[in-house]
Amino acid sequence: MRTVDTINQLLAQLPVGLSIGAVLLLAALGLNFTFGQMGVINMAHGELIMVGAYTAFVAQAWVGLPSSYALLVALPAAFAVTGLLGLALEAGLIRHFYGRPLDTLLLTFGIGLVLQQLARDVFGAPNVSVPAPPWLAGGLTVAGMHLPYARLFILALAAACVAATAYYLSRSRSGRRMRAVIHNRDLAAVSGIAVRRVDAATFFLGSGLAGVAGVALTLIGPTGPTTGTNYIVDAFLVVVVGGLGQLRGTVLAAFALGLLNAMVEPWSGASLAKVVVFAAIIVFLQLRPQGMFTVRTRALT
Amino acid sequence: MLEVRGLCSGYGRARVLFDVDVAVRAGQVACVMGRNGVGKTTLLNTVMGLIPAVGGSVVFDGVDVTRAPTHVRVRSGMGYAPQGHETFAPLTVLENLKVAADGLPRSGEAIEEQLELFPRLRPLLNRRAGLLSGGQAQQLAIARALVAGPRLLVLDEPTEGIQPSIVAEIVEVIGQVAARGVAVLLVEQYLDVALGLADTVTVLDAGRVVHSGQAADLSREEAARLLAV
Repeated sequence: MRTVDTINQLLAQLPVGLSIGAVLLLAALGLNFTFGQMGVINMAHGELIMVGAYTAFVAQAWVGLPSSYALLVALPAAFAVTGLLGLALEAGLIRHFYGRPLDTLLLTFGIGLVLQQLARDVFGAPNVSVPAPPWLAGGLTVAGMHLPYARLFILALAAACVAATAYYLSRSRSGRRMRAVIHNRDLAAVSGIAVRRVDAATFFLGSGLAGVAGVALTLIGPTGPTTGTNYIVDAFLVVVVGGLGQLRGTVLAAFALGLLNAMVEPWSGASLAKVVVFAAIIVFLQLRPQGMFTVRTRALT
Repeated sequence: MLEVRGLCSGYGRARVLFDVDVAVRAGQVACVMGRNGVGKTTLLNTVMGLIPAVGGSVVFDGVDVTRAPTHVRVRSGMGYAPQGHETFAPLTVLENLKVAADGLPRSGEAIEEQLELFPRLRPLLNRRAGLLSGGQAQQLAIARALVAGPRLLVLDEPTEGIQPSIVAEIVEVIGQVAARGVAVLLVEQYLDVALGLADTVTVLDAGRVVHSGQAADLSREEAARLLAV
């Protein structure tokens, strides 16, 4: 009897784990470009997520779009806003720090603080809430498990973003150029690729995806100046565990961490669950420092 | 086609090249030789703009490209296969060629031309380049450098660490390319390969030109003396 109970309990946590995983995945997907592929430790990525969340807020509270379709407008708008913000940061600041990871970390940490303070000045320190569209109210009940529509929407959004990213990288001409530059800058340059322009495009995409993640976060919680900060460490961990720049690794790692978190939490509480997840990551990285996936070649190094 | 005059370059404060002159005419093979560490690769990297020149000039087809970024030089007709048969390892063979052929008016035909030149690559088109053998990777590297139809081909030790049968194929391709009127700037350690292909020979020592002249005027003994370790 006890085993059955345990299994039922674990199953009940499955949707929770999947939805935590989907949020982690959205937050990490953009980092997969800027950190995983370009190697830029962008501590301001969390603040880009926050800017995306406030874009959804602005769409409803300031522009006055009705909540029934504001979400669908906010998604592309947030992508554009944070993408352009990321582009400006790359061109104006981060570009001059390439090859200096520690300086980049401090620089982007500072940028993050500036953005947080800006958000406080513009929107006020207290959290704001963004009403979810009415068609996301309620949920499905499948086999005794309650699945809120908002969580299902985030899951679908994450899947769509992964599919679009995979298609872009493997099928499009500029995605191919991006992979070439990431693998070997000099060789890309001698193949006639303007590597600086590709850097900028990579940063635009990574930052834009942070905006999409921000909009998704408004569906499951309040929006505040530190909204993104809560996700930044987890997002970095997902990219490292998955293997730098490996899309499928990022996907697997996000869901693995999400599920682990959800399975442990009912027994241990939220704080201890976090400890367990971090401990598991430390053990995993001891055994496999390169992450789940790497590019295999015949070269020995 | 290519005129390098008084070229100086290096890494930070460490000077590697001093006052190097090299010239390559259309349809000719200019071979740069020298022992390890004399600056051959640095010379090619500076010609391609991967390392900034500290002094002197690089003139390609009458245009001074000394300050031009690498991709601009490549698009103006300079092709480069760097040392160590480098390819884009995560990309397939076909993608490697497409990366360099993108934006050409007839990229499909350009790739087809390379496959005729290197028939070994044809059955490997969908294999990831990181899984190729050294010889296959070198052929891909040269094909990638050629796919945009350059008027100057720069090759850094194309036969290094490659089995003899493929060396012979690569040497033949270099000869064919030059015969079509492409200028070839070649760094080569193997005396036989170098003297067999070269029209002119430039020997470097410690970053300076110590010999420069027609390959026909350079005897094996003299070459061996200049390159002696």
